[in-house]
Amino acid sequence: MLEFIYQSGWGAFTMLLLFQIPFLLVFLTVIYRKAYVDTSASTITDAKISKLRGGWLTLVIALFLVINIVGIQYIPAIYTAKAANSSVAAVDVAIEAQSWSYDMSVREFEVGKPVRFNAVSLDTVHGFAVYHPGGRVLFTMMLVPGVGESSLIYTFNEPGTYKVRCLEYCGAAHHEMSDEIIVTEASS
Amino acid sequence: MSYATSMVAAVPVFGRMFKVESEAELEDINAWPAAMIMASFIWFFAAVLLGISLPLTQMLGLDASLFYTAITGHGAAMAFPFVFQLMMGVGLHRAAGCVGKPVSGWIPATAFWMMNIGALLFTIAILMGLKISYAVMYPLPVVGVETGQWSMTSLIIGFTGIAGILVTVIVLFPVQVIKMFFFDKEREELVLHRRKLSDPGMLGMAMAAFVLLIMGSPLLIVASAVLLGLYGILPFAWIPWATDPMVFQFVFYIFAHNLMEAMAIMIVSAVYATLPLYLADGTRQLYSNKLANLALWILLVTSVTSFFHHFYTMFPALPSALSYHGNIMSWGTGVGAAITIFTITMTIVKHGLRAEAGVMAVLMGFTLYILDGVSAIITSTVAWSYQLHGTMWQAGHTMAVLIAVAMMWMGVLLHHYPVITGRVLDKTRGMWFVILYTVGAMGLAYSFLAAGAAGMPRRFASWDQEGWMIYGYLILFFGLCMTLSMLIFFIDVSKARRINTGAEAAPAE
Repeated sequence: MLEFIYQSGWGAFTMLLLFQIPFLLVFLTVIYRKAYVDTSASTITDAKISKLRGGWLTLVIALFLVINIVGIQYIPAIYTAKAANSSVAAVDVAIEAQSWSYDMSVREFEVGKPVRFNAVSLDTVHGFAVYHPGGRVLFTMMLVPGVGESSLIYTFNEPGTYKVRCLEYCGAAHHEMSDEIIVTEASS
Repeated sequence: MSYATSMVAAVPVFGRMFKVESEAELEDINAWPAAMIMASFIWFFAAVLLGISLPLTQMLGLDASLFYTAITGHGAAMAFPFVFQLMMGVGLHRAAGCVGKPVSGWIPATAFWMMNIGALLFTIAILMGLKISYAVMYPLPVVGVETGQWSMTSLIIGFTGIAGILVTVIVLFPVQVIKMFFFDKEREELVLHRRKLSDPGMLGMAMAAFVLLIMGSPLLIVASAVLLGLYGILPFAWIPWATDPMVFQFVFYIFAHNLMEAMAIMIVSAVYATLPLYLADGTRQLYSNKLANLALWILLVTSVTSFFHHFYTMFPALPSALSYHGNIMSWGTGVGAAITIFTITMTIVKHGLRAEAGVMAVLMGFTLYILDGVSAIITSTVAWSYQLHGTMWQAGHTMAVLIAVAMMWMGVLLHHYPVITGRVLDKTRGMWFVILYTVGAMGLAYSFLAAGAAGMPRRFASWDQEGWMIYGYLILFFGLCMTLSMLIFFIDVSKARRINTGAEAAPAE
């Protein structure tokens, strides 16, 4: 469940709705009731408002902390560091992005083996986004020329053909800047 | 009659909508703001047509270059000559009426011309082939010339236009606000509703002016150096610090991010000023000025350095510590927003509301702004950023913040319209505008965000794959809803009745 929430676009969308729907329901109801149903001044006491304010701010700060603390394990820098320190050696891939193609040193990987993607851009700003065969973005990296490598370690869990796309607008054929990587079952 | 007043009156169609016909003594706070507001809607009209053309080019399978031309023009027209100029016009009028200082002289005049001539030059460059998106994507403009995608002439014209826009946004507008707040002499006849700087309805305006001036200066210096290099005045060998892509990225996003935050701080302040004027019990007070000011200070402090969220996915080029900082600061803006939500909700709960188009537009714009704030915080969380950066989610966030801020300013404009033009608007048409704009804007925002969640790239001329075209249809449908709402708005301001013909005046601020 947590992996779905923190590791997919639809997980992010679910979280978005969890925040937005209660706000929409409460705020629009208040506006409707106080503008059209009962516009008179409320008899709500200052003590009650004070309690509401305390409760609201506590909730906001609690959500702030919980969502960010739980999410730490899903930050690429964290799982990259974990993978780098594990006993399984990562496969290094050098990637050079240039309008409008990728030059990758390796294009085939095995399930369960960590892969370290080291990517640079040779001309303008490009992206290197790897898509799951089901269509969701697994991760994306922004490549700015002259900055050095963008790098992270990712471990594929399923075999298949993974699409690579540029997600940073890079000119006339930006939409054609794509590639594929193949992930196969682990050899014993 | 001032030059600005005559100019507005002379413009066909749009001039009629915003013609200044109120008392002559108020001309010094009405004329240039009216010109800016009128020009902003001309640009919005163009931006809407270009926006509608985006899904159409995809559905009709037209050439990709048309899509990239339209998206560059659409983004550029929306962000600066529409939203910023609308904010500048309404904001300057509002501030001037609060402190009793004129919006006249060379600064507002230059701001108006540099913004519009700059935007026009940028548009000409786009039509000549320059397709760099509104975010410039440096060094793409130069790489595009080197690879024959567009000409050096179009680049020079385009950058000259952008320079005009930047000078307006970073220097002229903030200087005019600071001049009015701290230096000019008050004229009693210009005071519509006296406010002090400590008033939450005014504080955000001053904060925003300083944010733009300070956070924009580095970009202005770098962009000026690049422009002088392009003109051949400075050898490029002298300015490697300015042409380095990373330098440009940082100064650009320090400015662009804080521009959006400054616009948000300014409009939240305008909401704090406008809402109390429509309270049912006539209290004309927020639930708590202190809490309102606290929210503005939190928004200011947290937003300034949250711009790092634009660079998370460059790890390790952007050190993790700066990513975490950007993450925490982005959520910090959410704390400021939460306090604002509480202040506004409690003000309405305590005092009731008079449902008029202006305040309803402000409140629905605020609703959109909060919804968008959630999408911004989510994409600014490091873990999610790696799935969302560069997708339609971020295009949706940028678009939603612009249309939310625009709606709030249009609400404030509806309130000030009688004072600026001497005419009043139709309440029914006003409400239809609010309803359709809200439905269109929310639908557009959710369509973009869902497309981003599904992995659809932004600024990408190939929607017909992976089932993404469904989002294109939704974007077109809700875009047409917004277009209809704006048509109603334009009809409303075109048919406004003069106050002295027996029409009821709106409550003056």
